[in-house]
Amino acid sequence: MLDHLKEAFLEETRELLGQLEESLLELESDSSDEGLISKTFRILHTIKGSAGMFDYDEISRFTHDIENVFDLIRNGKIKADNHIITLTLRARDQIEKLLNNDGSSCSEETSEIVESFRKILLGFNEAGLPEKVKTCIVSEAVEESRTEDYLIKFKPSEGILKNGTNPLLLINELRDLGECYPCMLTNQIPPLETLEPEKCYLSWNIFLRTSRGIDSVKDVFIFVEDECELKVEVIEETGTPVGLNDCSREILDILSENSPNITRELKKLLSEKAKLPKTEKAALPANLKTEKCSDTGNAKSIKVGSEKLDYLVNLVGELVTVQARLSQISAQKNDPELILISEEVERLTCELRDNALNIRMVPIRSTFNRFKRLVRDLSQELGKKIDLFTEGEDTELDKNVIDKLNDPLVHLIRNSIDHGIEASDTRIACGKNETGSVTLSAGYAGSSVIIRITDDGAGLNREAIRKKAVEKGIITKESSLSDKELYNLIFAPGFSTAEKVSSISGRGVGMDVVKKTIESLRGNIEITSESGKGTTITLKLPLTLAIIEGLLVKISDEYFIIPLSAVEECIEMHRSEIQNENGMHLVKVRGELVPFIPLRERFNITGQSMEIEQVVITSNDGNKSSANSSKIGFVVDSVIGEHQTVIKSLGKFYKDADGFSGATILGDGTLALILDIPTLIKREEEMEKKLFQNR
Amino acid sequence: MKTILTVDDSSSIRQMVSFTLSEAGYNVIEASDGKDGLEKIKKASNVNLVITDLNMPNMDGIALIRKIRESPAHKFVPILMLTTESQNEKKMEGKQAGATGWIIKPFKPEQLVAVVKKVLP
Amino acid sequence: MIEELRQYLTFKLGEEVFALDVNQVREILDYIKITKVPQTPEYMCGVINLRGSVVPVIDMRLKFGLKKTEATVNTCIVVVEVNIESERTVLGALVDSVQEVFELEPGEIEAPPKIGTHLKTEFIKGMGKREEKFIIILDIDKIFSANELEILGSNAEINN
Repeated sequence: MLDHLKEAFLEETRELLGQLEESLLELESDSSDEGLISKTFRILHTIKGSAGMFDYDEISRFTHDIENVFDLIRNGKIKADNHIITLTLRARDQIEKLLNNDGSSCSEETSEIVESFRKILLGFNEAGLPEKVKTCIVSEAVEESRTEDYLIKFKPSEGILKNGTNPLLLINELRDLGECYPCMLTNQIPPLETLEPEKCYLSWNIFLRTSRGIDSVKDVFIFVEDECELKVEVIEETGTPVGLNDCSREILDILSENSPNITRELKKLLSEKAKLPKTEKAALPANLKTEKCSDTGNAKSIKVGSEKLDYLVNLVGELVTVQARLSQISAQKNDPELILISEEVERLTCELRDNALNIRMVPIRSTFNRFKRLVRDLSQELGKKIDLFTEGEDTELDKNVIDKLNDPLVHLIRNSIDHGIEASDTRIACGKNETGSVTLSAGYAGSSVIIRITDDGAGLNREAIRKKAVEKGIITKESSLSDKELYNLIFAPGFSTAEKVSSISGRGVGMDVVKKTIESLRGNIEITSESGKGTTITLKLPLTLAIIEGLLVKISDEYFIIPLSAVEECIEMHRSEIQNENGMHLVKVRGELVPFIPLRERFNITGQSMEIEQVVITSNDGNKSSANSSKIGFVVDSVIGEHQTVIKSLGKFYKDADGFSGATILGDGTLALILDIPTLIKREEEMEKKLFQNR
Repeated sequence: MKTILTVDDSSSIRQMVSFTLSEAGYNVIEASDGKDGLEKIKKASNVNLVITDLNMPNMDGIALIRKIRESPAHKFVPILMLTTESQNEKKMEGKQAGATGWIIKPFKPEQLVAVVKKVLP
Repeated sequence: MIEELRQYLTFKLGEEVFALDVNQVREILDYIKITKVPQTPEYMCGVINLRGSVVPVIDMRLKFGLKKTEATVNTCIVVVEVNIESERTVLGALVDSVQEVFELEPGEIEAPPKIGTHLKTEFIKGMGKREEKFIIILDIDKIFSANELEILGSNAEINN
């Protein structure tokens, strides 16, 4: 099998498995939904069918019994109860495993699951076990039996044409088997006035000499078995067979007489005519037509490997860079003609870039769907009743972002269910609905996507967090913190409020890792909570990772990009305005003291700082409207302006260079580093802490 | 060149059928379900053979076969259905609806070509 | 280890001549402006724009425990392809000058001496003989995978 076909099969089956899971889970809440049942059946059927075609026989066999069970469900013979759904979900996972194992290896689990399905089927023997049907219509390896002569009497029913059967093709097929002398009988054709042109009034007597065996002969007529009278007789040979060319006319004469004794007559002829001279071989004219077709098949969508898309986006990125350079040069040359071309190139490049990026956008639906299973499994495991609601599944994000989003979301949902949602009895005692709810929602906000995970659980326990944070030495007993600051502590490394480490939350990944992952996607995470009512975690993510909206700034001869999403405002700062309190750099912004980081000093860039410098004020939690968001300024020589740029990774070699999320190439070919604001702030805080301790 | 319409909701099977038949020198049109198939056959100037799966969303294979037979232009076009061995009943239903023949899944590319040759002049 | 006739590129760091397999060399660039990434070790000069790709550049003098490279007309960036943790990476190596390309039969390459060079032997593929002089053939995959302290022999050897 060709690789790309197999690749397509694997991709499709994975997709189908996702759909299977989804429909099973939906089926669980409404086991009588016929649409869902037939959808489930259809998915299983497709998996089985294509697995067999692509040499995944193990999957095909395995799925067979499950399909039969769902056939029973479809026919209303049994109900899709919890047992069957759980079993089928397990089977689904097993199919996934088999798929990854290249279809081989029959583990114990496979046979155990198959056994369970067989048990269900056993009660319904009459429908469960498939009827025996001829499994192969085209005999693959035809055994060479001895040459024999056959008499075939073939009388199609009058309506055979209506099924699209062309009887002449069947006769032609017989020709391929050996030496064939067909004789068409026309005696059944009615007078013209009663003749219906769409009916078939013809029948054939055929003499065939072949070594393929009687089954091959019968196989020719397999599609029309029920629509014809068919008789295949072997003409017993006496002595060595004679050359048929010598007696073809006689054979046809006998055939055309259509007497009941054709077999005997033929036998006699063949024995007698051994020594007669040759005659011409009669043959039907070949039924050949050449036709032309203009319409070529156009599929609605095509599947493309994501690495191909990545490559395309990279190329477009380079094009954007070159285009920026062209714009710059054409502006310098001030040649109207060149400027015209340059503007046209700019417009096209922009369109091309938007389109290329758009191709990579995929709806978050499949990610959300995966969590339905997670929530179901967790709620069974923990004995909590939980409903998962999803909103905005059609929200689209860059595939690369979605791929990286899975783990953090899993962790956050686990947390919500494990720590957030109370046990049923507690909930009832609090006057809440026994069934807890977790809502996953996604939506757009400007050039960002907002994803929220909301639970209606107990909410965060401020005291517990405070106690733990003091214990861990993250804060001191005296620290006074706002609710928000307090909640944010759960993102501190090594922080966990669970009294006991459960198998669900205690998987060694902390909330700090979640926060880090989100930040690596240039997003941010925020938490709000109300005691007794629940917790909401909000993720804000960029639509795409490939392009960044940034502010281009300059220090000495070095260029840097500050992501625009973090920037709040830019202000001018005179030397005299700098407030130096306890060694901390502070600047007054409309009455508010904002700490700042002198980048020239931090980055060891040589040269004197200017008399008037620019401060780019950023807010580190991305929530610009919030009153208590912490602002930090970054001091640079000059702010050049907004710049939309393609991000280039600094590569493996600079993997330790945190503080920079990549580089970008400016119009003139110079490189500008992209600042990783959260990391730079964190590093500053650590430095200050050390300074503080040393004192 | 003969044109074959292949109707299947599984894109991998569709691709396989399409690839095999194109290699064998046929012109292939793909459709993803019965509804799509019906639209495509109506639009195409000349379809010489239809190969359809039976279990499909929107419009299943049986319904598609009936619809095709209803149309005067395609009264006699050969139709092959893709079935599995467990679907004998379906096979009968398909024949009654007007299918010419069937191909049992799973099949090998050469089997597909052989069956196509059987019904396509 | 080295089975067939191979070509080697020689370059100079100070007075010392080193060689590397030309199969790993992509191109040689004249010295261009290198954008320093702040807060990184000094031997990592920074990054350059190589026709739209961001390529890191390493100061080979600093990497080998010599004084920082001062750019001259002869200073070159040798763009090489190396395997770092089994991933192909393109790097620029800043060297004082590039000398020549020459061929060596496997028989002309000897095992590295245990002492006498201030590089640890595991970073040397062998010693190639060239006009009665020995040239150190570097194993750049290993060199760029290790940090600079691991490459140099003990301090005593450097002082010698």
